[in-house]
Amino acid sequence: MIEQLRQHLLVLRKMPGIEDRPGTLPLGIPSIDALLGGGLVRGALHEVVAAGEAHLPAATGFALGITRRSAPSPRLLWISEDMALAENGMPHGAGFDIFGFAPEQLVTVSVAHRRELLWAMEEALHCRAIDAVIGEMRGGRTDNVATRRLSLAAAESGTPALLLRTEPPDGVSTAATRWIISAAPSVALGMSCLAAQLVRNRRGPTGSWILEWSDGDEQFILATHAQPVAAPVLDRSRRQVA
Amino acid sequence: MLSLWLRRFSTDRVARSHEISAPLVIAGKRGSVEILTAADDAARRLGLSPGLALAQARAMHPGIEMVAENAEADAALLDSIADWCLRYTPLVACDAPDGLLLDISGCAHLYGGEHGLIADLGSRLERSGFAYSIAIAGTIGAAWAASHYGKPSSYACGDERDMLAPLPLSALRLPSATVTSLARVGLKRIGDILDLPRAPLTARFGPEVLRQLDRALGYEHEPLTPRLPVAPYVAEQRFPEPIAREEDVLAIIARLARRLRPALERGGDGVRRIELSLFRTDGAVRRIAAGTSRPLRDPEEIKALFVERLAALADALDPGFGFDMARLSVIVAEPCPPEQIGLNGGQDAAELCRLIDRLSARLGPRRVRRVIAQDSHVPELAETALPAQAVNGDDAGWKAFRRYRTDVDLPPRPLRLLARPEPIEAVAEVPDGPPLRFRWRRALHEVVAAEGPERIEGAWWSEHGGPARDYFRVEDKSGLRFWLFRAGLYRDLSHGADAPAWFLHGTFA
Repeated sequence: MIEQLRQHLLVLRKMPGIEDRPGTLPLGIPSIDALLGGGLVRGALHEVVAAGEAHLPAATGFALGITRRSAPSPRLLWISEDMALAENGMPHGAGFDIFGFAPEQLVTVSVAHRRELLWAMEEALHCRAIDAVIGEMRGGRTDNVATRRLSLAAAESGTPALLLRTEPPDGVSTAATRWIISAAPSVALGMSCLAAQLVRNRRGPTGSWILEWSDGDEQFILATHAQPVAAPVLDRSRRQVA
Repeated sequence: MLSLWLRRFSTDRVARSHEISAPLVIAGKRGSVEILTAADDAARRLGLSPGLALAQARAMHPGIEMVAENAEADAALLDSIADWCLRYTPLVACDAPDGLLLDISGCAHLYGGEHGLIADLGSRLERSGFAYSIAIAGTIGAAWAASHYGKPSSYACGDERDMLAPLPLSALRLPSATVTSLARVGLKRIGDILDLPRAPLTARFGPEVLRQLDRALGYEHEPLTPRLPVAPYVAEQRFPEPIAREEDVLAIIARLARRLRPALERGGDGVRRIELSLFRTDGAVRRIAAGTSRPLRDPEEIKALFVERLAALADALDPGFGFDMARLSVIVAEPCPPEQIGLNGGQDAAELCRLIDRLSARLGPRRVRRVIAQDSHVPELAETALPAQAVNGDDAGWKAFRRYRTDVDLPPRPLRLLARPEPIEAVAEVPDGPPLRFRWRRALHEVVAAEGPERIEGAWWSEHGGPARDYFRVEDKSGLRFWLFRAGLYRDLSHGADAPAWFLHGTFA
């Protein structure tokens, strides 16, 4: 009951923020939002690149984190290449729940070829009912024309489009931002902690931060903890071994 | 009822694809002997008829051409002819091995009556190189008898009795043993038994004889089993000139869909699955189906589905010399609530359905899915991804899941779950504790923090339930977070259980 009320409160608290700035998708961290000019551009293509194959779960978390604020309960279309699903695992509904995504709002699409992935993303961007589109691909080349089309489709509909990949694409890109994400050691095991590096920003300078997902606020916060000298004392109600 | 018998079906099939110069026979093994299963007209004139041993036939006429029997090819060809016959009626049944039964009630007028239909069907079959025999009669039995034993194209509606009387008894589709024993007492033609007292006939030869006679005469109903389910709504269009271009096909789809709409509205139905049949001039039939996630009526939306389907076809339409007929049949219809206008939520849902339909049409319905919570505590069974078109708007499972999660304070679940748990090599400090280090996909991970165990029992009530699992959430030096489990408990070793093994099941952000 309390949980429900809290959810409700969150929705109420966030709604005006979204309405005020329809063009941007704020991360909720003032320093980053200032750098981005108020937040990520909503109607644009953003690239989220994992620092390595092993860091893809962290990049998944980052992609979910930044799309969380696209709607009170975002309707998400998750498009992956078959190979990516086999390597990285299926999106797990119960896990999405932690990031504040209702699993019933999730539609997953698996495709065999990259051009189908780009086509499906473009189709989804034209649909008003979708709040965010995430395309997950393995390394390799992407068609510049197709990504340009994606950027245009995103700009037209104002729906954020994310390309989630394991290596940065070679050559020019039409994406508004490119992030390189790697997992970072967490202070307490429960926290999702990651190192985000903004390597490309059409609107301004770049930077790098250590972010932490805050379950209560459903947004990222800056990890300001100093690295402890001794092993952290974890206060955990459940039995745990450190 | 129309019965079509392709008299020289197997040999015609071979002759269509090969140049045949000598009398052709087809032979196959029956038991340990090779016998003739089919012979063409030239071979029959030489006295070679099916049933003869191949060795004997060869001895009689060394010059004959022999081809091995191919029952699958025969069946496939009969199937495609049956498909092609759908141009006449949706009710087509295969009468294996070499015949078809068509229920043409209410269809013949499109060809200017039954005789016109016979002429149309006959000329098309002749052009394709088939010897045929067609009969139309009031019942399946009479039509079959007339096509197999009567004149090559006959029409007998209303005078089945007179038509049947001179035909031999085997025309009643009786087992050959029954026919022989009837012949032994002098009953050879159907006319011979028409007026016999029924009781003694049944007592002596079994009920089958009179049942078949009654069926042929229409005293007893004989059901026809159509090959394909009959569509509740159908619209079709014939073209005087064959069409071949994709734009023309799409325009026809829109026109047919517009024609379907009033019928759908009257029935209060919408389309859930729809099929387009394109009849090529050379007899091939192209069938393309598309599904929807909610009942549809709008012609433009139906057309949009086929735009994607046609785009997804690897070999395009392959129109050959063009299509001379198109049919749109609604295979699955569902009650469709009256259109709601104005409610924003409803519009959004409709938009999403349209997107799902488009993606499913192009990529295949199994590739567009929704995640559904299942009633299971085993992580890989706890949720499943089902085609989004099938499970639209079903979210009861997740409501239950959220209730359950808050009730039992469920430990966190990973963001990505591997399709199946992957075995890892792990070293643990204490047998029941979390691993110190482990190797997954050839990379070594040093565990710096771990939480657990969360014990998840296997499905102990099932033979394939597997052992209990102890799940741990661990983090390695570089901050990667994993969900591991040990399958099996050390304390069970003494009961003869397998040694515990470690698996990696998922990853956290």
